[in-house]
Amino acid sequence: MSRTRSLVKLAIVVATALAGTATLAQQDVKIADPTSVVMIVNRDSNDLAFMDIKTNRIIGRVFLGNNVNPHMVMMSPDGRYVVTGGTRANKAYIIDVRTLKLVKVINVDIAPEHLAFSPDSRWYYQGNPEGDSISVIDMQSLTKIKTIPGFAEPLNVTFTADGSKAYIGNYGAHWIGVVDVRRHELLKKIQIREVPGVAILDPDKYLGEVHGINIAMFGPDGRYLYAADGDLGFVGVIDSREDRVVKTIKVGKDPWRIYMSHDGKYGITPNNGDETISIIDLKANKVAATLEAGPNMTGVNFAAGKAFVISSTSGFVYVYDMNSLRPAGRIRIGLNIQLETATTDTQDQKLYLADSTENAIVVIDAKTQKFEKITENVGLFPWGTHIMDSKDNYCH
Amino acid sequence: MVLRERLLGCLAVVLLTAAFAVPIALSAKPPAQGATSSVSGRVTDNGGAVLPNAEVSLVPIVPAMPGMKMTPPPPIVGRVNNDGSFTVAQVPAGQYVLQVDAPGYGRSSQEVTVPTTQTFNIKLEALEIPGAEGPEAAAKPAPTDAQAMQQKINELEQRVRDLEASTVYSLPETRTRRTTVYIDKNSNIYDKPTPGAKQTTTYQRERVYRRQSIDEKIQSALEEQSKNSVQVGVSAAIAPQAVFQTKGEKTDADRHAYQLSSADLFFTARIAQHTVFFADVVGLSGPPPDLETGGLTLLNGFTARLVRQNELNLREAWLRTEVFSQRLSLVAGRLDLTNYFDHNAAANDETRQFLSDALVNNPALNLAVNGSGFAAIYDPKNGFNFKVGIQQSKTDALNLSQSMYSLGEVGYLARPKGLGEGNYRVWYRTDNSTDRYKTGYGVSLDQKLGVQQVTWFGRYGSAEADIRRDRFYSGGLQFSNGAGFNPGDVWGVGYAHYDTGLGPKERLMEGYYNFQISEKFRLSFHLAHVLEKRPGQQTVGYLIPGLRLQAAF
Repeated sequence: MSRTRSLVKLAIVVATALAGTATLAQQDVKIADPTSVVMIVNRDSNDLAFMDIKTNRIIGRVFLGNNVNPHMVMMSPDGRYVVTGGTRANKAYIIDVRTLKLVKVINVDIAPEHLAFSPDSRWYYQGNPEGDSISVIDMQSLTKIKTIPGFAEPLNVTFTADGSKAYIGNYGAHWIGVVDVRRHELLKKIQIREVPGVAILDPDKYLGEVHGINIAMFGPDGRYLYAADGDLGFVGVIDSREDRVVKTIKVGKDPWRIYMSHDGKYGITPNNGDETISIIDLKANKVAATLEAGPNMTGVNFAAGKAFVISSTSGFVYVYDMNSLRPAGRIRIGLNIQLETATTDTQDQKLYLADSTENAIVVIDAKTQKFEKITENVGLFPWGTHIMDSKDNYCH
Repeated sequence: MVLRERLLGCLAVVLLTAAFAVPIALSAKPPAQGATSSVSGRVTDNGGAVLPNAEVSLVPIVPAMPGMKMTPPPPIVGRVNNDGSFTVAQVPAGQYVLQVDAPGYGRSSQEVTVPTTQTFNIKLEALEIPGAEGPEAAAKPAPTDAQAMQQKINELEQRVRDLEASTVYSLPETRTRRTTVYIDKNSNIYDKPTPGAKQTTTYQRERVYRRQSIDEKIQSALEEQSKNSVQVGVSAAIAPQAVFQTKGEKTDADRHAYQLSSADLFFTARIAQHTVFFADVVGLSGPPPDLETGGLTLLNGFTARLVRQNELNLREAWLRTEVFSQRLSLVAGRLDLTNYFDHNAAANDETRQFLSDALVNNPALNLAVNGSGFAAIYDPKNGFNFKVGIQQSKTDALNLSQSMYSLGEVGYLARPKGLGEGNYRVWYRTDNSTDRYKTGYGVSLDQKLGVQQVTWFGRYGSAEADIRRDRFYSGGLQFSNGAGFNPGDVWGVGYAHYDTGLGPKERLMEGYYNFQISEKFRLSFHLAHVLEKRPGQQTVGYLIPGLRLQAAF
């Protein structure tokens, strides 16, 4: 009798303990749906904050370490990991999305900034602009398996849809690197256009700080890439099947990069040299409009049939109607502030803009052009935002 | 009694079974049905110490399908025992990522294929998070002396790596922020709303944990200095021209060469929020052809700036401020109103486009001098803009009332079907610099054609004159955006027609090619032909080739 009772007590204790473990495991899950959050990378508080899209409340935070200064945040396409490069720590940080725990820190090259995942989530390519290299991280073993050298200030990485190749924008040069993702080797360099012969007479510009190629972005058909060269003021159209330039398009002065509209009709280059934007018709591959914009543009988002161009130092977001290709006003976010970059929700209704000097995230309703500033608990100097599956995930 | 014991025994079995089954049921959803097996191994840290209770997860690998999004299946979870061993039982066959996590350690992650006979010996590396507080920092066991020494060596190695990689300031950066606080009657400050305290703003320095490289620090210091100092700019031009008479009785200008040199010094300073001061001092030297050709309009647009040879003159000096969310710009001081009105994109700048004044300005505006004035520009950035301005139009007037020139303009950015964007403007002006008010009106447009390289421009103006109205029109094409030898080159052709109410008429054509040699230096070739007809006189024609060297920095 007493033995049976002891057995029952033991069973109850074990069951309670194990059920407790299971309950704990359930409680440990901080983010069950990776698409439900806006990720915020905070440069000066050295952390990533996670904001619930429905409530606009910060629901989690991952501290990376003092003086890490993370630059860009991105979620893996499978929704398992969030990664960032710590620019001043020379490390890559890998966070488990479900538990919001920092699970791995990996040494990379100098000043890691922008990054990308292969479509199958297997490879995380971390660009190291000051190391002139790309660090290749295997997301299954969570180890750096290779450093691909030979770039010149590699800023952004674009994978092909099948994941076989990656195109690397070199801001310190006038070419795009093509990487074989199977071997993780630089295959080819593509120059979008020759530097003009008259450049020899302008050493101040051409031997000064190079404003080369920030990124190569795919057009709507997934075959042609578009890449803007800052110094040359041209966008090159590259056929990814043959990896050759098939056309060049003159845009404004010092284009920062190209951003693609979600309907696949247009690409926009913000031209910081003359404070204009060039709207490129992607079907005709020619400039459809050149419109006045603002100073120091850092990004373009698309929502509700409009383009939103962020003018970093003016505190304005310039708005353009993408049907009429005409200006549609500008939104004054604040005075004496610095705006960084934004992401757009997957319904193309709201923008989440990092307002670094106010330690705020500005949520802009694309239709009404009204906004709300989220300041509570965001973090210091938010530098960028990211939403899984958003079409406007970028950094600067 | 026996029955009760049996029932209790059954309950114990059920509870135990449930106890072991619940976690598996909660956490394990096998990717494939069929036989199961177990995965086992041992988990230690780098020093060989066991890590009991570390979490072992087997995450099913789902093949990626391009363009398809799938919710990742939940992992199968187990725990490491006190002796460091682990066994995850009832794992269906398939491919998994074997992950091991322990607080304070980096994740171990590797691909495994189940079933497997391999025993996994997994070593976890410590995860350093400098400055971390809370569970990450507290979870780690206190290091032994040897471990502490090793940790110190690792830190030093990392520091050396950092120094080699990029020289950085280790001191935290500071930044001043505008913040909202609440102050009570005793001047006590609260961060949050407090009864009896009123909201106010203050400025406070805050410390941020950001490393800056020396390059960045120098760059930001230079930018700060530049922002707070007076900016000086120079625009200098040398414009040699020759005149060959093609028609009419021989005049003094025939086969004469001319050269006008101009230097503008610009001073710009930011003096308050959205407020700048600007001054332009100009000096000109050398004879322009206009003194000998004596046409209705200037053959060298720079001549309009000439007050006296070889002297510096104040051309402009004004303050500009922007209000109403920077929609409205207000400018006051000594102005050149033509800088704000009739701002044709293809024919408005003698330093880069046409040299002949008839293709730079609209004579019907009839504003020959700069003077004290005021301009207001309302631009909501939606394609419309509205401008009004008044300016002194006679330098020898004793008061402003005697020389009031006023001007209003409405501008619109349009996209006619099949064409690019175009700017269309309508203006109206009045002037009392003579004995009565005289009015004028005009339109100005610059329209990009289907290809963005070609801009069509046009102007029309009609001005009240002493007898009849003066009438003017001009038009032409500008080619840019890669439509030349070099991407930055610009070229154009234009025609201007001016009939004055008093009788004299002028017809002018000009073509130019402007090479962009560098960002700061341009060279352009010009060829103009003008016909001047005066009542009772023979028409006189001149061919005017010219050069313009333009430096701006």
